[in-house]
Amino acid sequence: MAPVPNEPVGVLVIGAGASGAAFAWSIADTGASVLCLEQGPWMKQSDYPTNGLDFEWRSLGEFSPNPNVRKLSTDYPVNDTQSEISPLMFNGVGGSTILWAAHFPRLTPGDFRTKTEDGVGEDWPVGYETLEPFYAVNDRVMGVSGLAGDPAYPYHEPPLPPLPLGKTGNTLARGLEKLGWHWWPSDSAILSREYEGRAGCINLGPCLTGCAQGAKASTDITYWPLAQRKGVQLRTGCRVREITVRPDGMADGVLYYDADGQLQEQKAEIVVLACNGIGTPRLLLNSKSAQHPDGLANSSGLVGKNLMFHPYSAITGIFGEPLHGRRGPVGCSIWSHEFYGTDPARGFVRGYSFEAIRGFGPAQTALWGMVQGLVPWGEGHHEAFASVYDHTASLVAICEDLAEESNTVTLDPELTDAHGIPAPKITYRLSNNSREMLSHAVERASEALRAAGAVKVVPMPLVRDAGWHLLGTARMGCDPRTSVVNEWGQAHDVKNVFIVDGSVFVTAGGVNPTSTIQALALYIADCIKRNIANLFDGP
Amino acid sequence: MSDTSALDDTAFMDALLSVLVPANPPGGLPAAGTLGLAAQVASGLKSDPMLGPMVGPGAQAIREAALAAHPDGLPGMPPEEAKQLIGERLAANPAVVLGLLRYLYPAYYGHPRVLEGIGEPPRPPFPEGFEVEPTDAELLDLLKERARPPRAGR
Repeated sequence: MAPVPNEPVGVLVIGAGASGAAFAWSIADTGASVLCLEQGPWMKQSDYPTNGLDFEWRSLGEFSPNPNVRKLSTDYPVNDTQSEISPLMFNGVGGSTILWAAHFPRLTPGDFRTKTEDGVGEDWPVGYETLEPFYAVNDRVMGVSGLAGDPAYPYHEPPLPPLPLGKTGNTLARGLEKLGWHWWPSDSAILSREYEGRAGCINLGPCLTGCAQGAKASTDITYWPLAQRKGVQLRTGCRVREITVRPDGMADGVLYYDADGQLQEQKAEIVVLACNGIGTPRLLLNSKSAQHPDGLANSSGLVGKNLMFHPYSAITGIFGEPLHGRRGPVGCSIWSHEFYGTDPARGFVRGYSFEAIRGFGPAQTALWGMVQGLVPWGEGHHEAFASVYDHTASLVAICEDLAEESNTVTLDPELTDAHGIPAPKITYRLSNNSREMLSHAVERASEALRAAGAVKVVPMPLVRDAGWHLLGTARMGCDPRTSVVNEWGQAHDVKNVFIVDGSVFVTAGGVNPTSTIQALALYIADCIKRNIANLFDGP
Repeated sequence: MSDTSALDDTAFMDALLSVLVPANPPGGLPAAGTLGLAAQVASGLKSDPMLGPMVGPGAQAIREAALAAHPDGLPGMPPEEAKQLIGERLAANPAVVLGLLRYLYPAYYGHPRVLEGIGEPPRPPFPEGFEVEPTDAELLDLLKERARPPRAGR
C-alpha cells in the first residue's frame, strides 16, 4: 500500500527526548514549520509509580529503563547479547529524561581536547567555551539547582540554589572531606524550589521512575510546552522507518508508521535526528538507497562505530546508623572529580567522577541483598534485611570510555521491532583501560566510604544495567573521512541532515552527558539559524 | 509451554511464600503467604519470558514432592518438614528461588503492613513526599572558602 502523503514541513525532527526538544524549541525561532515525530506517547505524572504503594514493583517492569525488560509496544528491542553493558533508554515525549536521575554535570574544558592533552581519542571541533552560553540557556529552561564556584569547572551559576544533601550526602561529604578529596554539591536538573510554574522537589525518592511532582526536569514539561507555544508540531506514536532521498542524494523526508500502523510519507527540507546514540545509527543504517548503499551519511563507514557508554562501578557502604536514604533525589547530592584527570601513576589514561547515591527502597534493598548474598530467604531474612535497609549509601564511578571502532551498533539480521524494522545489535567490550579505571575506582570508593563511617563495603565492579549514556556512533569532526557530521552537526555526505543527540560525541568525558547533549543541540540549532542563507555550503 | 499449574495453586503458593519470607513476630512483620500475594507473584512470573519457564516447573516439582510426602501437600506439612523440603529443592535449583524472590520481594515490601513493620509510612511517596536533612552548615562554609570566584566582566 502506498504511503499516505502529509503536508511538507521545513524542519523535521525525529525524537522528542532531551536533544530533540531543545533543538525544536530553538529552531522554531526561524519561523519555519517544525514537526517532531516521536514513537512513544505523552506521559502523565499521575501515572508514575510513586503515586502508588507498588512503585517498586512497577519500577522493575513497565518502568524499567531497559527496553528489553519493559517491552512496551512503543519500544524497540536491542540485541545486547554481545555487549558487557546493557543499553537503557525510554521512548516517549521526554525520552530518557522521563526515567533519568537528573544528575546534571557538564563536560569539563579538557574533555573536548583529549588528544592534545593526553594523546588519546580525538579533539572535538568545538570546545567548552563555544558551548558555554548554550549550557547556560539550557540550565535556565530545564531548571537546574546547584552551588556556584565548583573548582572543577569554569565558574557558572545554576539558576536555583542547591538541593539539600540530606543525611546521606552529609555523611559522604564528611568522608571525602576527611580524605581531602574534591567534592561539591551536584548540579541537578531538579527544582530546589518552585520555578517557572513547576513545583519544587518534595523528596519522593525514586527519580528513576518518572517524577510525579514534576520537580525533576524532563523535556515533556520543560522544553515541549515552550516549543509548542512557538508553533512546533509534535506527533506521537510515529515510528520512522527510513529517511528517503532525492536523486541528488539529499534527504527529502521520511517514511514512518503512525499509531495505527499506517505507513505515512513526510517530506521536509531539513531532517534532524535526535534518536540517541543507538536509535540514530539504527535509522541511518536502515536508510539505504542507491545513492547511499551503506546507509545514509556513511561514506566514512563510521555510522554505528565508536560506541561509548560510561562503564559504571557501584560501591555500597553499609553504615551503623540509619541514613534515610530512601528519601530525596536518588543521585543528586554530591559529586567528586578527585580522579577525573590523567595521572600516569594510576596505570590508565583519563579518569572518572564519583556520584553519590542514596539508599534504595525496601524491595530493591532486599533484591540487592539477595544478589550480594547478604539477605537470605527463610529464617534470618528479617534480621539481615534490617541490618542493611536504610543503612546504605553508595558511590558510583562514571568512567570515561575511550572510543574504539570495534564497539558498534549494527543492524541485527533477524530481530525486528513491532513494525518489522530491523533492530539494533550492540557489540561492546570493555577496554583494558576501562578495567583498570574501574578497579581503581572500587579501591578509592571503598576508602571514601570507610572514611565516611561505613562498617562494611560491598563493591559491584561493573554494573551491567547501566548503559544510560549512548555516545559516539556518528561522531563530529572536520574531516569527512574520520567523522560523520561537521562542527554544525551537519552530515558531511547529506547537507540537509543534522544530528543533535549523543551520537555526535567525540569523547565521553567521565560525567553524565545530558547537559552537554542539550547544549550541543542548542548550539547546532544556533549554527543553522546563523547560517540559514548558505547552510548547505557548510562551515 | 512450561507447567505453571503450581503457580496457580494459591494454597501451595501461600505455603511456599511463607517459608521464603516467614513471619517475624517481634518486629510485627507478617509471613508473605498471609498477605494474599500469591496471584501477583504468579502473574509476574508467568509474564516473564526468562524466569517464568524456569520457576513454573521448579515450583511444580516442589509441589509434587510435597504431595508425595504428605496427603495435603505443602500447606499440610509440619513447618520444619516444609522448610527442609523447600530448602533441598531450591538448593538444587537456585534459579527457581531467584525467580520467586524477584517477584516476591517487590510484592511483599509494597504491602502496607510490611511497610509499617519496617518503620516506613504505609503510603505512596506522592503526594506527601518526605523531609530531608538540610546541608550541614559547616560543610557549606568549607565550600564557600574554596569556591572559584566569578570571572571578571560577568
